[in-house]
Amino acid sequence: MNKRLSAIAPLMLIPVLGLTACAGGASADGAGEAAPKTLTVYTSEPQAKIDQVVEAFEKANEGVNVEVFRAATGELKTRIATEKQAGKITADVILAADVPTFEAYAADGALASLDVENAAALDPKFADPDGFWVGTRIIPTIIAYNTGAITEAPASWAALTEDTYKGKIAMPNPDVSGAAAFNTAVWLQEPALGKSWMESLVANEPTVLESNGPVGQAVAAGSSDVGIVVDYVARELAAKGSPIAVGYPSDGVPYVSQPAGVFADSENQEVANDFVDFLISKEGQELAVTQSYLPVRSDAGVPAGAPALNEINLLDPDQVKIAAGQSEAVEYFNSLLK
Amino acid sequence: MTTHTIDKAATKPEQVHADGATAPIRKRPTGKKLFRGPRRSGDGLGVLRTVVWVAVAFLVGLPLAALAVQGIQPAARQVFGDPAVATAALNSVASASGSALLATIAGAFLAVVLERSNVPSKGMLRWLVMLPFLIPPFIGAMAWMALLGANGPVNKSLQGLGIDAEMSIFGGWGVVFLLAVHSYPVAYLVIAAALRRIPGNLEEAARISGAGTARVLGTVTLPLLRPGLFAAFVLTLVANLSDFGIPALIGLPQRYTTLTTLVYRYLASSTTSNPLPAVSAIGLVLLALAVLTVLAQRRLPAGTQWGSGATGMDLELGRARLPLVILLWSWVGIICLVPLLALATQALLPAPGVPLTWENLTMDNIVRASTSPGAVSGIGNSVMLAGGAAVCCTVLGMGIALLLTRGRHRSNGSLDVAATLPQALPGLVIAVGWLLIAPMLGIFNTGWVILGAYVMAFTALVVQAVRAPMDSVSSALEEAARSAGATPLRALLDVTARLAGPAAVTGGVVVLLTAVRELTISILLVAPGSQTLGVTIFNLQQSGDYGGASALALVVALVGILGLSATAALANRRADK
Repeated sequence: MNKRLSAIAPLMLIPVLGLTACAGGASADGAGEAAPKTLTVYTSEPQAKIDQVVEAFEKANEGVNVEVFRAATGELKTRIATEKQAGKITADVILAADVPTFEAYAADGALASLDVENAAALDPKFADPDGFWVGTRIIPTIIAYNTGAITEAPASWAALTEDTYKGKIAMPNPDVSGAAAFNTAVWLQEPALGKSWMESLVANEPTVLESNGPVGQAVAAGSSDVGIVVDYVARELAAKGSPIAVGYPSDGVPYVSQPAGVFADSENQEVANDFVDFLISKEGQELAVTQSYLPVRSDAGVPAGAPALNEINLLDPDQVKIAAGQSEAVEYFNSLLK
Repeated sequence: MTTHTIDKAATKPEQVHADGATAPIRKRPTGKKLFRGPRRSGDGLGVLRTVVWVAVAFLVGLPLAALAVQGIQPAARQVFGDPAVATAALNSVASASGSALLATIAGAFLAVVLERSNVPSKGMLRWLVMLPFLIPPFIGAMAWMALLGANGPVNKSLQGLGIDAEMSIFGGWGVVFLLAVHSYPVAYLVIAAALRRIPGNLEEAARISGAGTARVLGTVTLPLLRPGLFAAFVLTLVANLSDFGIPALIGLPQRYTTLTTLVYRYLASSTTSNPLPAVSAIGLVLLALAVLTVLAQRRLPAGTQWGSGATGMDLELGRARLPLVILLWSWVGIICLVPLLALATQALLPAPGVPLTWENLTMDNIVRASTSPGAVSGIGNSVMLAGGAAVCCTVLGMGIALLLTRGRHRSNGSLDVAATLPQALPGLVIAVGWLLIAPMLGIFNTGWVILGAYVMAFTALVVQAVRAPMDSVSSALEEAARSAGATPLRALLDVTARLAGPAAVTGGVVVLLTAVRELTISILLVAPGSQTLGVTIFNLQQSGDYGGASALALVVALVGILGLSATAALANRRADK
């Protein structure tokens, strides 16, 4: 072969070489000794919020590089299941959804026991007695309403089945949103609500949006008068000037505590624990408050415009029963939609 | 497209290639046999052929094989018992064919008016009607959501006029409409190219016999245009079958699922325990559909060869001129510009529902969204992946095009199919194929999976870009090189490849600009650390940050419009030379 040919021929190989090289390249990532410790966090937190948390944590822990994968809880769970099937969960920390999800992971042996100092400062009901997870913020689901469209929120979940709200309700999809899946199970197990209430709710033709964020947007923009949505989304939009307000239903407010846990497969147990500890530290909780979340500690204050926890009729159902009924509840809800 | 210098002695107008009406005439050198077939393949061309085939087998064959193996398992077939699949399949076929029909009609109308008539400022109009092509469909969907939101400008004006009706973009009709909006430019391009090849003398003959403009159009031009119309219909049909962004943003809120959104739901939902077999089965059906369309298209005669040189008839608009001008400019305004303005408004207002006044406008969203760590890493990943894909696609696409246009080999037919098939495949099929082979290759959860899928999906863009100019290069130059002692491969690389180089680079740039804003493939393949720009915007939207999502989307749309327009302008200038 002549010179020019031998100069060009390897170019033709680029696609092949590039792709074979990557097979080895993947495992080489982060193996270098000088490389900073990388922590992978799976979370359903809104991107901007988790970015702030990571920034604060990286500042306090030099040499740690936190990589975030944000997706809706349903998506995270599938990813984790797929990874498990492929051999190993690649994430270190999970910060998402609801207690039943974490109980299931703990029972499966997927979670490691936490070693965090700040757990003692939490109300015991927000921390796992077995030490596999800790709650990190209180996220109640409430009824939000567009102040341009109506002057007063429906007072209760029961009120949402009234004819007045037909076609005017937006709610998140329990298939996608962890909090919504949890709520579905809670509603079904509340004696006052249950199956007949859910039937009437769906008969009122709610708009089922992918997750809580779009529900808040729909109510704020006025495309739905009323929304079933987590409270911080609505309060934040109100703070930015949107015509949206929050009503806490009198017949009980379900909440998730956005637990955090460390995977047993994690090779960075120490840093992973530090990250979880940071979330429930006074500093971490104060940051959560500035992000409009209700904190799990009493010494971190309350976000502007939010009621104190003791002013809300929080529902505290048996988490084990919720966990057992959750997927069935979601399926029931889906079957009503069809 | 390119004008041919037809060398009568060496050329037989062979079968006209069917990949769109833009395909040039294949030339078969009738002189001495240029390449002597497989026996002499050791002389260089064989090496190229082997390398290209290995790459194609790996990039196209392997993912599809994995899909086929997974999709025919008994467990996978169970998915067809799910009534949701039947509904989604029906919705997919209905929305894709409906929108393809609309797009073809719109494309044909625009092509006839903008290519043949004497409407003023044609150049400007041509660029403006192409705008939806330069904006990724999901960003277009966001723009229309902003435009037709309950408190958007349209419904506000309706209220102001005292009209009670509320316009909504959500649901099946919205999906069909938006898919059509985003695919008519492609239909227009294909039909306009076909139109340019119809000679004026037939139309003139009809006119001399006394036919009016409408009659000439109806009895001569449109019938001759039929293959072009069909090609445009099939192309847009396949593209719309696979779109994810529009049905996800516009269809899902009204529970209008298509196969792509259903598969996404399967993969994303915690209620399906092991979605891969089910998803593969769906992918396999789409694959079969795509193969059928490709085969049908290849068998279809794309038209007859017309004499060159004759230009088409000029349409006498007469009294229709003013209404047409108004129609075209309203089209440009309503379809192309106003949604972008609505997107910009959403990006510039601090929160939804805030009244639109000058004091309320702020750059906060744009600054915050484009400097957030998520966006920065998304942009970085997309630029890297798209850049890598552009390089790989250019090199591989050039290799394939060289073999297809210059080497005569019995494997060329299958190489042609293998190289162009992915373009007819829904992005969903490609993504699932790579999802399946990733663990085998040890690249699961890395950016390499996305790169592989991009290369598979977009190589055909380069092949297409290179093929036309390479076909038009006379083989005499190569023969000259051969007689001066060059090996077949060297003659090919030194002469033909060098001449086709600029076209390959243009193709590569198109790959870059397409891949950098891609959503359908990346949404199914993203992993920690490899989130792409499209997925970042989709995520912002899904987590309720419409302001941030619109801000980033606006930036992407503007960059895309500028980038693709500049590429097209450069390519045209080169072609004119």
